[in-house]
Amino acid sequence: MGWLIFLAIVAALVAWGISIYNRLVNLRNGFKNAFAQIDVQLTRRHDLIPNLVEAVKGYMKHERETLEEVISARNRAVEGLKDASAHPEDPDAIRELSGAESQLSGALGRLFALAEAYPDLKANQNVMHLQEELSSTENRVAFARQAFNDAVMVYNNTRENFPNNFIAGYFNFRPAEFLKIESEDKRKVPTVAF
Amino acid sequence: MDFFDRQADARSRSRWLLAGFAVATTGVALAVAFVVAVLARAFAGDYAAVAEASPDRSTFVLSAMATAAFIGLASLGRLKDLGRGGGAVARGMGGERVDGLESDLLKRRLHNVVEEMAIAAGVPVPEVYVLENEPGINAFAAGLSIPDAAVAVTRGSLERLGRAELQGVIAHEFSHILNGDMRMNARLMGYVFGLVAVNTAGRLMLQGLGSGRVRSGSGRGAGVVAALAFAGFAIMLLGAIGVFAARILQAAVSRQRERLADAAAVQFTRNPAGLATALKRMADSPLSSYVRSARKEEIGHMLFASGRRSLSGLLATHPPLAERIRALDPRWKPFLNKMGFPH
Repeated sequence: MGWLIFLAIVAALVAWGISIYNRLVNLRNGFKNAFAQIDVQLTRRHDLIPNLVEAVKGYMKHERETLEEVISARNRAVEGLKDASAHPEDPDAIRELSGAESQLSGALGRLFALAEAYPDLKANQNVMHLQEELSSTENRVAFARQAFNDAVMVYNNTRENFPNNFIAGYFNFRPAEFLKIESEDKRKVPTVAF
Repeated sequence: MDFFDRQADARSRSRWLLAGFAVATTGVALAVAFVVAVLARAFAGDYAAVAEASPDRSTFVLSAMATAAFIGLASLGRLKDLGRGGGAVARGMGGERVDGLESDLLKRRLHNVVEEMAIAAGVPVPEVYVLENEPGINAFAAGLSIPDAAVAVTRGSLERLGRAELQGVIAHEFSHILNGDMRMNARLMGYVFGLVAVNTAGRLMLQGLGSGRVRSGSGRGAGVVAALAFAGFAIMLLGAIGVFAARILQAAVSRQRERLADAAAVQFTRNPAGLATALKRMADSPLSSYVRSARKEEIGHMLFASGRRSLSGLLATHPPLAERIRALDPRWKPFLNKMGFPH
């Protein structure tokens, strides 16, 4: 009788462990899937930038440095995206991508700030279209990022909760990283001159 | 109240109103059944029962079920009528399809904004239409379910709203799609239609008697005619009361769904200023949400802002603009631009 009860308890514990394991797997697949949506939108962003640079090059002859900066930031972001979309569960890859995209946002922000000084450029239909597509893509990235970060938060919470943390530790479920894209200009403390 | 509280509040208020709607409809069905059941006794020759208003129990149950089925069927027919897909409704209003590949920058922007909101709300991209002949600022969502939903926007909105404002308007329409407001409204319209049918049935009974199709002969026959006339009048009156109450409740539900959609729009965009500015543009230029189309009554409850000149009070489908703006920006003061120019 005694060993029957013991067996039942062991079976219940194993079933519980399996259900926790399965939940963790589902949540991990959930945020990986949410990353796919970001991947689509970031790729769109990266594809638009060479077109934009091509379109403004003729007008902004004296801003070569800024244009080159945009292109190199874009190329770094393309590399970062390749690594991150192969392994969305790798915190280092996501952090790398966050950095690259933030730098790209900063470079683009400077480009648009400079473009204010060129009225012909702002009136150019092609440039207006590209600018609209870029701001739309940026919004899409922001909304897709929100879904990804929500999924990451649910996964991380589940992973860290007791007693899930034992299962997560044993089967090596690593903490996932939020994707943050902020242009460095926004983070900079404003300089105040007295 | 933040936007989550406002949504919860609007949801619970509309639940209460829907319960009231159900009570009103059931009440009419029961009352009609009561009249019919009393009448049944009169036909059986038991006039004392009529005087005491004591109904025949089994007839009462049967005719209550019959009346409920009658209202239900009438509403089902209406629902089927409205369920021809959001795109069809938009085309019926004179909408032209936008597929996002246009060279027109404004249309391109509209399609982009809709796609962005679809990502934010996590639903497939609905069909997008522009009402080219409408200079006012307005928009609507149509379609009874998420897969066949459509969003239509007036030409005036494209030209007079900025990107963030347009985003607020589109997010508002997305909330209607997500919350199933079109389906709910179609169902309510169906019940109102069923009650109108009850009212009509009573009137037809009276007219039939008046035109002398029911011959009055012996004393018993005269009694039957009087009973029928009374029943017809009672059914007509009950139907009318039901329609009146249902219309008021339907409008009240619609106003709560608008509040819900405004609050949800802020949740999707996280930018109350966009939606608020769009509403202010309407508030500051009279008639600017006015819709020309003759078919606006059909879609009145789906519009972004009331398409009629001025309809406040119990039957208004939308809360007053000032109230909607103050929910987003409590410090706003109306400034009516007499010339009708947007500020």
